[in-house]
Amino acid sequence: MIKRSVSLYSYQQNEFFGWMDWKAQLREIALNLDGADGVEIINETTIPNYPCPPEAWIYEWRSELARWGLQAVTMDTFLDTLQFRDHVMTYREAGERIRYDLELAHKMGFRNMRLCHHTPYQAVEMNLDLAAKYDIIMTNECDVRSLDLGHMMGDSIESEIAFIERTKTKHYGLQIDMSQFQNKPCCIQLRYRFRTAGFSPERAAEAAEDIFQTFEKIGREATNEYIKEKYPEIAGGPFPALHMHANPIGRMYEIIPYLVHMHGKFYEMTEVPGKPGLYEDRALPYEEVFKHLKKSGYNGYISSEFEGQRSQQDMGLEGLIDEVDQVRKHQQMMKRFIEDKHNNTPF
Amino acid sequence: MYDSFLVRKGSLRNFKEDGKVAGFCFGVRIANYRGVFLSLHNGYYVEVDGESYPVALQRFGVNGKPPRSFEELKNNAVYEHWDMQDEATLYIMKEGGLTPGVHRVGILESILCSYGRMPRDEEIVKNPPVPTPNVHGQGGGGSKTTDVSYFDLELQE
Repeated sequence: MIKRSVSLYSYQQNEFFGWMDWKAQLREIALNLDGADGVEIINETTIPNYPCPPEAWIYEWRSELARWGLQAVTMDTFLDTLQFRDHVMTYREAGERIRYDLELAHKMGFRNMRLCHHTPYQAVEMNLDLAAKYDIIMTNECDVRSLDLGHMMGDSIESEIAFIERTKTKHYGLQIDMSQFQNKPCCIQLRYRFRTAGFSPERAAEAAEDIFQTFEKIGREATNEYIKEKYPEIAGGPFPALHMHANPIGRMYEIIPYLVHMHGKFYEMTEVPGKPGLYEDRALPYEEVFKHLKKSGYNGYISSEFEGQRSQQDMGLEGLIDEVDQVRKHQQMMKRFIEDKHNNTPF
Repeated sequence: MYDSFLVRKGSLRNFKEDGKVAGFCFGVRIANYRGVFLSLHNGYYVEVDGESYPVALQRFGVNGKPPRSFEELKNNAVYEHWDMQDEATLYIMKEGGLTPGVHRVGILESILCSYGRMPRDEEIVKNPPVPTPNVHGQGGGGSKTTDVSYFDLELQE
């Protein structure tokens, strides 16, 4: 059975404004998400005084997890290669930083630790023994771009798998981000783009919906042409809402044997037309992905990873999107697909 | 990201050094979902009422320490963190400070955080980007916010 977790990344806006601290976030997961029991964190967001949190804080963290019966699933880490500023971080220094994060992850009870993209294998390999000692699986995340072959720094799926096969390690694996399967325009990002181009919120909403409906009818390329003609105000700029990769979901099977964790990235939960009380993210093919995940027998966690908040932070306090509500709707959707009996046939 | 919240309303004031008004300052937040090592902070593009103030005139107050230049952060704050929950103070050296009234402040943060090893790393070490309004387009200099954010702030007593 696929298990549900929440990345505290989803509550970043609450963290920013100080409305919910990590304890309130854990409480929300434990009490209001109908069976979700996993927690994922960003190390440099949740851990105070990173990289040296007080020992007392580590005890408090473990105590709160125990209090609510939550599992520490994944700690997300980074690799700022310019940290030293007078030189680019060497492999050994990168290895040191990973080692330090492994120590923290171990103290905090995490079972997985997500490394940053483009972490050199030399630095990973230095830490395989320590990861084995702590029984932590390090992962690389395949997000929007990395399923593409020949990806810029070489951490393509092929090189990842070759690394795992060569080292025969059980402590390095892959995780997938849902964003790489995005196959429709993301309306919340489109509305932001239109507003920053000077549209009123109402006109921005209309235009975004128009693009979504047009896309449904005529597809991506023709929609790009349509945008150039009808909305020249936004056609020239960066256009993340249509930067979807729509990777074929079937490619997941290449990864499944190495799959350790999943990021359930999402941008905006809206009500399913004609089904009051049920929610979906129209940009992302969750139902289809869950079908394949279940078919493959994947039994790890998938974390809600909400990223829509930044698309409404131009509208003042009253315009902010409610992260707590969005995560609840996302978890409800994932639970629905996990428990759907019609798509529950493992190999 | 956090466009309208990067500078705290009500935080603009003049500050004194050796009994004289040496400049002005205001509270800033990080434009990211995570904190960073302070050495990565490359300063700001700052303009006030249309006049820009280069990084050399900027000082950064954080973690309860006296204001430091970005050169000092670069060299000596390699293991010191700016937590994402914490407000810092950006000081701008300007003899006499700002005049009373409302001022239009525009800022764009330049933090050299990255997602692992990138092709331009060596070049950035040699020639760190100068924070400018289009710093993001130059690569390596921008954070999660790509445009200058503007705030109309009244100078406090």
